[in-house]
Amino acid sequence: MRNWRVGVDSGGTFTDICLIGEEDRAVQVWKVASTPDDPSRGIAEGVREAMGLYADAEDAPLTPVRFLGHGTTVATNALIQHRGARVGLITTEGFRDLLEIGRQKRPSLYDIFAEKPLTLVPRALRFGVPERLLHDGSVETPLDEDAVREAALAMKADGVEAVAICFLYAFVDPRHEQRAREIVAGLLPDAFVCASHEIAPEFREFERLMTATVNAYLGPTMQRYISRLQDRLTGLGLAAAPHLTLSNGGVSSFDGAAQAPVRTVLSGPSTGVVAAEAIGKQAGFADLITFDMGGTSSDVALMHGGKTRQANEATVHGYPIKAPMLDIHTVGAGGGSIARIDAGGFLKVGPESAGADPGPVCYGKGNREPTVTDANIVLQALNPTHILGGRMEIRRDLAEAAIRDMAERLGLGVMETAQGIISVVTANMARAIRVVSVQRGYDPRDYVLMAFGGAGPLHAVRLARELEIGTVLVPRSPGTLCALGLLLTDLQSSFATTQLMPMHAASLPAIETALATVAAQAEDWFKAEGIGPDTRRVRLMVDMRYEGQNYELSVPVPPGPVDADMIAALIAGFEAEHTRMYGFTAEGEQINAVTFRAEAVGLIEKASLPDAEPGDATSETAITGSREIWFPETGRFTASPIYDRDALKPGMSFSGPAVVEQMDATTLVPPGVDARIDRAGNIVMGLK
Amino acid sequence: MNELATPARAVPAQAKPTPLDPITVEVIGSALASIVDETGETLVRASYSTNIKERRDCSTALFDREGRTLCQAEHIPIHLGSFIEFVPRLLAQHALADIAPGDVFIGNDAYEGGGTHLPDIVLAEPIFVDGALAAWTVNLAHHSDFADRGHAHIYQEGLRIPPIRLYRAGTLNQDVQDLILLNCQVPRERLSDLRAQMAANRVGVQRFQALCARYGVDVVLAAGEALLDYAERKMRAGIAALPDGRYAFEDVFDGLETTEPLPLKVTVTIAGETMALDFESPDQVRSPINMTMTALQATTYYMVKSVVDPTVLPNAGLARPLTIRARTGSVLNCAHPAAVDGRVQTCQRVADLILGALAQAVPDRVMACTNSACTVAVFAGSRESGPQQGKLWIYLETIGGGGGARAGADGLDGIHVHTTNTSNLPVEALELEYPLILARYELVDGSAGAGQYRGGMGLRRVYRATEDCWVKVDTSRVKSRSWGLQGGQAGGGGYFRLSPDTPPFDGSRGFLKRGDWLEVVSPGGGGFGAPGERSPDLDAQDVRDGITFADR
Repeated sequence: MRNWRVGVDSGGTFTDICLIGEEDRAVQVWKVASTPDDPSRGIAEGVREAMGLYADAEDAPLTPVRFLGHGTTVATNALIQHRGARVGLITTEGFRDLLEIGRQKRPSLYDIFAEKPLTLVPRALRFGVPERLLHDGSVETPLDEDAVREAALAMKADGVEAVAICFLYAFVDPRHEQRAREIVAGLLPDAFVCASHEIAPEFREFERLMTATVNAYLGPTMQRYISRLQDRLTGLGLAAAPHLTLSNGGVSSFDGAAQAPVRTVLSGPSTGVVAAEAIGKQAGFADLITFDMGGTSSDVALMHGGKTRQANEATVHGYPIKAPMLDIHTVGAGGGSIARIDAGGFLKVGPESAGADPGPVCYGKGNREPTVTDANIVLQALNPTHILGGRMEIRRDLAEAAIRDMAERLGLGVMETAQGIISVVTANMARAIRVVSVQRGYDPRDYVLMAFGGAGPLHAVRLARELEIGTVLVPRSPGTLCALGLLLTDLQSSFATTQLMPMHAASLPAIETALATVAAQAEDWFKAEGIGPDTRRVRLMVDMRYEGQNYELSVPVPPGPVDADMIAALIAGFEAEHTRMYGFTAEGEQINAVTFRAEAVGLIEKASLPDAEPGDATSETAITGSREIWFPETGRFTASPIYDRDALKPGMSFSGPAVVEQMDATTLVPPGVDARIDRAGNIVMGLK
Repeated sequence: MNELATPARAVPAQAKPTPLDPITVEVIGSALASIVDETGETLVRASYSTNIKERRDCSTALFDREGRTLCQAEHIPIHLGSFIEFVPRLLAQHALADIAPGDVFIGNDAYEGGGTHLPDIVLAEPIFVDGALAAWTVNLAHHSDFADRGHAHIYQEGLRIPPIRLYRAGTLNQDVQDLILLNCQVPRERLSDLRAQMAANRVGVQRFQALCARYGVDVVLAAGEALLDYAERKMRAGIAALPDGRYAFEDVFDGLETTEPLPLKVTVTIAGETMALDFESPDQVRSPINMTMTALQATTYYMVKSVVDPTVLPNAGLARPLTIRARTGSVLNCAHPAAVDGRVQTCQRVADLILGALAQAVPDRVMACTNSACTVAVFAGSRESGPQQGKLWIYLETIGGGGGARAGADGLDGIHVHTTNTSNLPVEALELEYPLILARYELVDGSAGAGQYRGGMGLRRVYRATEDCWVKVDTSRVKSRSWGLQGGQAGGGGYFRLSPDTPPFDGSRGFLKRGDWLEVVSPGGGGFGAPGERSPDLDAQDVRDGITFADR
């Protein structure tokens, strides 16, 4: 029996499935509508369909699957839409308002009307309990267990689903958090409980508190989701342990992700970025801006020299989170984004989304507020009768009626209003790209825009024009790129222990122990993941700083025994890095080690991307028909040839106006744009 | 429609000496913003003192050859006051021909160096491109030193440093550094933070030179000019949209450093696209609350920009349509040798004074009075134990308070307002570094001004000393209250309390013995609209969350 590897990316609107047969490593893709009430249903159904279609697997269709990787937006959507659990907080007495106070800075320096992000735990559910450790771990006030019980019972009476626990200095000594956790778990056996030392055992209480709180806020949603999905996959015969992608592009077991949903807030988009790195490399573009537009949001990232920036802490949807992640910026602009006229009479688009259910007006499922997709249907940039390769019927009449109603209130024509919706959403997305480019000192005009996601290729040229980007690349399967990314990433995990110690010979035994601890954790992980000895890679790092500083620099541990030479090499590495970053070394100042890390990588067989010699056939052979599309350039409906994506072969070229259709996406080629197909089957568009 | 409000795109390219497309200007503007962000981040990460590395009480900026602000990082608005006069003063004292690459100028003086108070030490380094001076990279760090000093006049407040060379052509001027460090109580921190300031300027020089290599120095400088013009155009268009008229507002300043309330008044005159602000205040006082003209300018630029158009670029162009007048020798425009260390308290009141005047012109674009203070606690002592035994230590922190209720929204709780915006120090950092324990940190019940939209709540911090130490507390609104708008009620005041056996402080200053505690409470913000108009939903939420309002 053939073995298969499967990647599943579940977005707010569609679920994408990508399959690779392990022998020929050819890629197959499938796409189904998401089932937002229970995303696991759509995933299971989609995987079953895809395996039936491509692997002839019928009963227990997932038996031949050796690897299943999954990217999800469950966590991020719950955070954006404030639909997480009802959370209670237990913290050190006198500090229950810290969650609101944060670092006491205001949200905007100059904008009087800016708001802080919503506080995830209402004041009435924040409980301070008597307990106190000091910075050396000594107990100043023992934990008042009765106060913890009272708080837990009050939370129980309120019906909380999750509890966050964060005490001062829990990263030094977790004993009070551990005891409080036991008490809470005893009284609220069904609640998701997260103690701060478990999720972010690092100094700075507010950021640790916020990370634990966000984790608790997302926990119940994520656990329910994962357990349902696991049951369904097992029911379909899956024997291999499924994996979930993390925000840094690596993957984790389902159990690990269920305990740490805060590490998955960028799960979905990070896989797209991993795939874009691989495709960009193959296409010869090392400097890319990725533009992943789905149904509810768009994710953008900047890749310079083939690499995307990583961060250990970032503010996600307004919340500071301590977790490794790729530098991805998200904006609430997608195909399902709803267009409304605001109180001031201006047209606004998003961030509210119609999602998959009821979906855009044109789905005919009861929504009456026009979306970006409805505008594209009315303009006929999207097929006005069917989408998903003919599998889903579309009601253009309903979409047009909704936009006509809006047009009358604005005093504009119907087509101008539809195009206006596109212009407003394009400007929103351009602002997101400015955050990752110009705001970081990169000129977007030096980059290629790589568009993917179900709606990316439809809007890419408009967005490129707004930013004066000259080249747009649309990969072969833009609607399922994230799913493909799951099959291009190695298994990764990282392990850390924070232990402050001076970098001199007396610390040698402690350094050896700390490095051995994280290395052993990496070995355990390799075994648990079934990663063979030949494919294991471990990189040990030490984060160091001068005594008195509060930010560390990371230095790789040289091979060889832990001895005086190693310490000398680490110090030399630190001083070199400090000089590179800051231009000086502080001679005579003590250097301290703070955190010891192991980065573990399990190499996997990657999907092979196609690479074909250009043929000499003309693109005419790929034309399947023609459609009248309304372009602002012509100001009227203009006959535009429809190209079949599957029939477009390397070497072919054509010019806009045109539209390229495929099962998972539609690429719009407006007038004045030239398109060619490169060796890998990507569409490369040049803007004049 | 006035001419100056016409957007950049409409200006014919040939009308400018160096034609630049708006996209290039925007990209270079963003690159300048990203340079000052990066220099700011470098300063924070390389620094040693808690005031910089965690509280981020520092700012970075780029200036053009003539010393006009090209771009200031979004850190602390009042720091602009120290920046705006530094390069012009420096150029007045040093011949341009003598300034060489690798020179680094240091200064802090309120009267000879354009500073606003002595702890804010500025380091400025010229940026040379193709052998010619092209711009300046400048940064400021609030060195938390000069504690336990007098404030009758500036000579008591610390070491006065005019703009002089700390480095000449890349070589340290050791004599100058030794002199400065000998006058500081915690020299090791000062030296380390000065190194961090050097590192930040080094990044600024490199990044600006790289930008010039990419676009050409002429294009970068022309873009800088265009950005100043752009800020001016936006500011003028914004002012033109406000109703013309004269709007006067009066308040008093009262704090722990003054005995009598000081009457303050502003008259804002809006005429077309210009705005004039005339300030009236008593003669300067023998107390640290006096403001230099640069502090008054920085405060006014901040507040007017926030109301007129928060998106105007923070560069020198925004000041062009504004006229600021205040009598020399008065509290709001003090002259040598007035003390200025606590000027931030007065700056906060001036910002609210301007809000009160502008509320008459555009009632829906302002907020009620904020907590109108920058509550400060300073602790100093000599370490009694541990590796630093016998060494002096100083810890300064500023505490946020209530924001004013907005037209249509409650005020923000427990935030820094107006001219300051520093972070708190994490408890886990505070207790590791200093012999103090923080017992409470919370929002203050009964501090919010009631209203249809309530004012923001103040903050409470309770410290316990684990070693004997000297303390100074500064806050404001100790007798007066932060006013509401349109029927909104006043917020709660600022105060401090001591453990029962602690001897009372002499005004704002006193001593804590090991085990004593100090409670500092910052004021709340004023409400907006009559309390009876508050929605039942918000009322119910107040009850659930246990939020109570300040007494009338």
